Parts: sequence; C-alpha cells; structure tokens
Amino acid sequence: MMQNKNIRNFSIIAHIDHGKSTLADRLIEYTGTLSKRQMEDQVLDNMDLERERGITIKAQTVRLDYKGKDGETYEMNLIDTPGHVDFTYEVSRSLAACEGALLVVDATQGVEAQTLANVYMALEHDLEIIPVINKVDLPSADPDRVRHEIEDSIGLDASDAILASAKTGLGVEEILDAIVERIPEPDGEENAPLQALIFDSYFDSYKGVIAHVRVMQGHIRKGMKLKMMATGKVFEVTDVGCFKPQPVDIGRLDTGEVGFVAGALKDVRDVRVGDTITTAERPAEKPLPGYRGVNPMVYCGLYPVDSSDYDNLKDALEKLQLNDAALVFEPETSVALGFGFRCGFLGLLHMDVIQERIEREYSLKIITTAPTVVYHVFKTNGDMVEVSNPAELPPQTEINHIEEPYVRATVIVPSDYVGAVMEISQEKRGEFKSMDYLDTNRVMITYHIPLNEIIFDYFDRLKSATRGYASLDYELADYKESKLVKLDILLNGDPVDALSTIVHKDRAVTRGRQLAAKLKEIIPQQMFEIPIQAAVGSKIIARENVRAHRKDVLAKCYGGDISRKRKLLEKQKEGKKRMKAVGSVEIPQEAFMAILKIE
Amino acid sequence: MSRWELYIHMPFGRQKCLYCDFASWAGRDDLMSAYVNAVKHDIETRAASLRREDGPAATIYIGGGTPTALPRDLLLTLVQSAIDTAGMPGEFTVEVNPGTADEETLRQLRQCGVNRLSFGVQSFNNRLLRVIGRIHTAEEAEKAIRMAEKSGFSNVSLDLMYGLPGQNLDDLKSSVNRALSLPVTHISIYGLQVEEGTPFYRMYEEGKLALPDDDVTEAMYDYMTEELPRRGFRRYEISNFARPGFESRHNLGYWQDVPYLGAGAAAHSYLDGKRTENRRDPADYIRAVEAGEPVCFSEEESSRDIAMEEFAFLALRTASGIDESRFTTKFGCSIDAVYGDVIAPLVRDGLLRRESGHIALTRRGAKYGNLIFEKFILSV
Repeated sequence: MMQNKNIRNFSIIAHIDHGKSTLADRLIEYTGTLSKRQMEDQVLDNMDLERERGITIKAQTVRLDYKGKDGETYEMNLIDTPGHVDFTYEVSRSLAACEGALLVVDATQGVEAQTLANVYMALEHDLEIIPVINKVDLPSADPDRVRHEIEDSIGLDASDAILASAKTGLGVEEILDAIVERIPEPDGEENAPLQALIFDSYFDSYKGVIAHVRVMQGHIRKGMKLKMMATGKVFEVTDVGCFKPQPVDIGRLDTGEVGFVAGALKDVRDVRVGDTITTAERPAEKPLPGYRGVNPMVYCGLYPVDSSDYDNLKDALEKLQLNDAALVFEPETSVALGFGFRCGFLGLLHMDVIQERIEREYSLKIITTAPTVVYHVFKTNGDMVEVSNPAELPPQTEINHIEEPYVRATVIVPSDYVGAVMEISQEKRGEFKSMDYLDTNRVMITYHIPLNEIIFDYFDRLKSATRGYASLDYELADYKESKLVKLDILLNGDPVDALSTIVHKDRAVTRGRQLAAKLKEIIPQQMFEIPIQAAVGSKIIARENVRAHRKDVLAKCYGGDISRKRKLLEKQKEGKKRMKAVGSVEIPQEAFMAILKIE
Repeated sequence: MSRWELYIHMPFGRQKCLYCDFASWAGRDDLMSAYVNAVKHDIETRAASLRREDGPAATIYIGGGTPTALPRDLLLTLVQSAIDTAGMPGEFTVEVNPGTADEETLRQLRQCGVNRLSFGVQSFNNRLLRVIGRIHTAEEAEKAIRMAEKSGFSNVSLDLMYGLPGQNLDDLKSSVNRALSLPVTHISIYGLQVEEGTPFYRMYEEGKLALPDDDVTEAMYDYMTEELPRRGFRRYEISNFARPGFESRHNLGYWQDVPYLGAGAAAHSYLDGKRTENRRDPADYIRAVEAGEPVCFSEEESSRDIAMEEFAFLALRTASGIDESRFTTKFGCSIDAVYGDVIAPLVRDGLLRRESGHIALTRRGAKYGNLIFEKFILSV
C-alpha cells in the first residue's frame, strides 16, 4: 500500500492555449507512463471536438509514478480540469480532490480572467499553488512581467515560479520535483468510514458508469457494497483502480488516492459530480461539502429538420445523456417546428458541443432555437413559474413581474480598453461593481449583468472591441426584477413561436427592428412576398418584406439531357436541407439564431 | 408497337457561341465525313430493333452545334440514311443556323422528307448577336426564314433568348415583334444561363458581363409569356409557344416519357427506362463506332424513385401536366401515394392546378418551375 506521504494529487490551472495539455503530455511522457507513440495513439484520442476547439470538456485523470530526488517513488495523480466557464462547478469538484495545483501562465500573454477565477477557487480549497511560466522559449516571452502580474493580481509569491517550455520539455523535471516538495501529502484516516468524492464520470458500454473519485478517508475494495450519499444508489464494486490513463483495475483505492470505481451502474444520473460515496454498511456520518445538483443555465429547443427524425433525435439525446449528467431535455411542441425537445445546458459551449455531436455522431439535421435563460415569472395570482421557452410566457395580463438571472462578470483587459468594456457593459444593462489594476497595464473590471445579455454576443463584442484581449469569467449571482416583454415575430401574418424572444422593454422596439431586418437578410426569396413583422403583444413595432423571387425557370434542354436537369434539381434541393418549412415559408436554420447576430 | 423518337447530334459549327456549353466544336471540319458515316452506322446498329418492334420513329430531330455547317451532300446523306433506317417520321426537324442556310439545301431537305426547320435566331438585334458570338445578322435571319417558306416549309420554329448582356426590354419587344412578322409557327424562348466552362462564365467571374438585373429579366419573361399567347402562340410547354397544331412533337416526347434514341457524340438516349449518354468527343465517338465498341454509357443506376421524379417534373413542363392515370399505369400506385404531401400545398398556394385527372403548373407556378420541380425530387 502506498503511504500517504508518497501521494501527490494536483491539477493544472491554465487559460485556453496557455499550454496545459502539452504540459500534461510532457509529464506523462517524462515519467514513462506512456511512450511517445502510445501518447499519440491514446492520450490524444479523445473527443474530436475537444481537440478541434483546444478545450477540455471532460476531466482527464492520470496516475504518474515518479522517482523523486530523495530516491522515493511517488504516486502522482493529475486531474485535468474542464477549461470553460460553463463547467465551473465541475472544476470546483476537481480542485476539491487535490492538494495542489500548477498555475500555468503563458509568458507572452499573462494572467487571464478564466485563470484567475480558477486560481481563486483553488485558493478557497487551500490548494498549494506552484506558478509555472510557460512558453519561455518564445521570443516575445516576458517572464518578469508575468511574474509580477501573478504577484499583483493573485497575491501569490511568484519568486520561485518555474520557467518552463512544455514544447521543448524545459522545466519538466523541476515541476515534478516541486510537486513532490511543495504540494502537501493528502491526509485522512484510513480506518474511518469511507468518504470518496466523485469529481467526474463517464459511461462505458461494458462496465457501466465509471466514477472518477478521490478517497478522502477510508478505502475501497473490489466487492464492497457502496452507497451514493446524495442519490442513495447502492452498488457493489466490480472494478476499482487507477487511470494510466486508461482505467487499470487494481482492486483497491486507499485513503488519499485518486482513481475510478465501477459497479454495474447504468444511469449516469446516479453518479453525480460532487456526490460522496460511502460504504453501505458503515456509512460516513455526513457527505463531503459542496455538492450541488445539476442546474442548467441555458435552454434551447432542438428540432429535427425532417420531422420523421424525431425518434432518432430522442435516441441521440438519450445516448449523449448517458455520458453527460448535465444535459437535460424534455419533449416540446412548437407550432412552427413541430415535435422537438427543450434542452438545458450548463452554458453556451455545452450547448454548442451537444448540438455538434448530434449532427456529427448521429448524422441528424437539426434546427436549434435561440438560447434563453430561465426566467422567474411571478403571476398576478401569486404563483411563480419558471419559463425557459419564450413561447410559454404567460399573457402580459397574468404577469405581475418577471425576474431574470444576473451574473457577476469579471473582465480583464489592457487598460487602454477600459472605456470600451464599460460602454458595452452599460449597454448590456450591466451594473458597474469594481475596477482593479492587476499591474500598470492590465485591469480587472467586474459587472453585475443579466445572463441573458451575456448569451447575446457580450463576449464577442468585448473581444472585437478589445482586439481579442478581453478575457471573461462569470458566475451566477442572483435573480433580479426586470421590465421584460415577449417579442414575437410574424411571417406572412402568422406568429412563429420558435422565433419569439424575451427582451427588455426599453429595447423591444430597437431589437424588433433589428431582428426583422436581420430576418429579411436571412430568409431567401420565395415564390411569394413574405411580410416580416415584429410585435409586442398586439402592437406591431417593425415591418420588413422579403420580396418574391423574380422567376426561376429551367428552360434549356438540349438533346434530351434529363439526368443533368434532375441533378440540378437535386443540388438545388440539397441546398435547402437546412430549411424548415413553416406554413408555406421556408426558414433557414440561421433565422432561429438571428437574434444573436444583431448588432 | 410504341412510340419512339430519334435524335441526331451534329457537334460542328463555324464558331461556338459564347454562352454555349453544349457539345459543339468549331474547327473540326476534317472529321465531318467520318462522323456522318459513324452516325449512320450507329443508327443502323441501335435503331434496327426499335424499327422492327415499334415501327418507324415518330419524330426525327437533327440538332447541334450547327447541322447546316455540314456540306450539303453530307447533310442530305445523313437525312436520307436516317429515314432509311428509322422510317419516315411524322415530324422531321433540322436545326438551322441562319448564317449557314442556303435555299438549295433547304429545298432538298424538304424534298427528302424534312418537314420542320428550327432557326437559332436568338435576337433580331445585331449588336446583341455580336455580343453573344452569333455568326449571322438579323437581316440574314429574316431572309433565311422567308427562304424556308419559299422552299416549301410550312412549319418553322425560331429560338429567342432573353436576359442577354446589354439587352433591355425594348430590344426584346422589338425582337418578338420581328419574329411574329415572319412566317413562323413555333417560338422557343430561352433565358440566358451563364454556364461553367463557357467564355461567358469567365467574363461573369471577372465582372465583365453586364447582365440585365432580375427586374428587367423578369419583365422580359412576363412580356413574352403574355404577348406570345395573345398573338396566337399557345404556351404548350414552359419555354415553347406554338400556333395550334404546330407544337413540336419531338420536344413533347421528352416531357411525356417517350423513349428516344440519341445518335452522335454526346447525345442522350432514353430506352427501356434507362438513360445513357454517348461518348462526348466526336473523334472518340467515331473511333468507338468503327471499332465496334459501345458508344453509350449509363448515366447512373436507374431507380423507381428517379423514374417517378423524372416522370413528374418533366410532365409538369407541359401545359397539360401530369396525366394521373398514366402515372398510375406506369408505377402501379396513385400519384397521391407518392406526392400527395407535395401536391396539396402547391395547389393550395395556387402554384399547381389539379383538374380532370391532370396536375399542371398554373401561370404563376410556371414562373417558379424549378422551385416546384425541386419538390418532386425524392432522393434528397
């Protein structure tokens, strides 16, 4: 059995592109956990999407064996955390499973908002933080500036920050030694009742749900009967072991160790991130702190373009849900789009990823409606209803008031762009909270701002106004009353429910005009004129017209070449596959997202 | 016995028009004699069984390119041999370029049994004719058509194009009126399509092709589709107008599921429900015929879906539209079983008309032909 004093559990905190994955690869390689060839075959063989987008969606865990300078062998567990604001809660659980973290900062870029948020979270969990300044081999590297920035912005002593280059391998050994020397060993009583923290899970078609766990106290052995404290699910351990990085069954996990547990668990919802596993016979008195249920922040409708694909879409969502407890969905019907699903996501990235996976992995063409937040609608009869679909907003006469979710948004930018950030944030109904200089050049600004506005191109606008320098982080703050109304769109005189949105009353007219104009651009000319109207209640606030197609006559046909004609028609029809016929009007997918695209 | 047609493609011309993407070659005159021999041989090989089982071809059509670019003797040999092999048809059309027509040729064609001429006039505006690369003038076209009448032709067609670079509505109106002042029985109208691989396409890409805008092109279309019927030319097919009784039977055959044999380079055939295309290059075609190799290739797998699609969208091009009972006879199910969901909304929106067992485009529907045909495609 590994002595606690020889165990080190750590994660890596870094901004996108600051070199987290490359560094992790180097550590795996250096410790001989995998050869370079195996690395390419296995480590990188994760979700295509993750690789393409340069982000981690699922946590990756790997055990490294490292012989320290003192001659002792150390068991190091690296818990790679999701790197996006959508997955803040998941990150917090991963951090809770560690004693330390590497803070990786790009020597050419400096600290970013997302990094900062995660460092603060790590500090809250009392993690020992080892600053690593990466990419020092680049000509534009400025390690001294970055060192000061770490000290100024985080208040962390960065005098012994490790200068590294994950690309060349510089500093890797130094990092491993620092992990041994500076990160504390885990504590916890081997003989106490079991408390194991679930920080991730995934579905394996042979073994069922595999829980990633950190044993805080007690131990797990094959054959033990265990219990999930939040869900109450009881199961028998069939496999228990560590990640190398593929799961290796070693029959046991002891106090302080990180690994996996499986036990014929069929439903990923029984294995919740943040839940505590204990033994069924001698349960711990209480669960580990910090558990939170799944709480989707963003909802949208998903509809098959071809209505006969409804069951296939349902099947795809069910399969994706096997591996994603945060994805929720229920059937929904739209007058315009027919039968589909209202789906809840942790955030916009999560939504994008699910959407793309449905299209790629299940080859389904889907229509996505614009994302919305969850509104609290207080009715005149005293009831409160949660509304995540604008079409379901009760009639204005039944509404007393509406509350919408606000977030605390943190933006970090070079000081030159402070004005731009403030302007956009005000315009987005943000309420200024604070402004701090991280160093002479970089400023951290916080705003209290409706989540709805964040969804609506806030970050895109920030980035374009700051030449890409702005970094953003946010967390749900509270619900606040707002003057909100439903903006309806009528095509050909008929309201299209899937195009309705909820907007601030003062913006309704502007938004309505912009949306109608945008739809005019997006909806192609058809065989008849299509009036587009924007309305609040029964009041029309904007009008546009899509003119009728001039004509479309396929005339020439020399020498009986019919196949060519048919191919032209096929191609023409193929081009319209992403369109949904609503009444007689064919609406392209982009139309349902138009509200996000208006300036 | 069932109806069939013969199409003969003549891929030669004095100069290829700038908009033309059809199989046509200038400067290959050396091949003409060998080519005509090859075509004769090809027809003899492939038409013999048709003739035996189905009797003479209902129609014969020699198109191009420019059939009249052939020396007179060669052309007459070809015509005679087609009749010898395929039988004397009820309608025998030869396409004529007004720039290569001479009275003697026309007279002899008529004597051989050709009873219909189709003149590729395109416009009666000399500036526009130069722009599109035609070798004749408006005056030559008028002269040629009068010559046809004198040579004994009472069934004469001409083609007009609209949407040409630099063309305006008045140009078009004057062309239509000059056409109507001539002894013609049939007019085809074609909107210019800028096809890939043509000189026009390159010019278009380079922004050097001043096409009339959509509004003007539409006004031209509207003018012709209103004016021609008013002047006695019924619109019996999407782009064809004829005095009563002078509809092109050959052309209608394409839309009415009539089998046809295509002889010559790049010609298409539709026999036994299968569509094939001949070798495109004339030299290659000649070589294949001489070597006894197959000249035609299947364009693709035929399927029931494809057959239904084509049956539907081709028939919709005609004024009488889809004959529902013919659909049922051919496919063994009602058209509603396949296209009910497509037809109903189009009828509701006034784009299709359904009456007395036929489904046809309305006047408004004709304008959006492609958009409607598209809905009859099952495979996408």
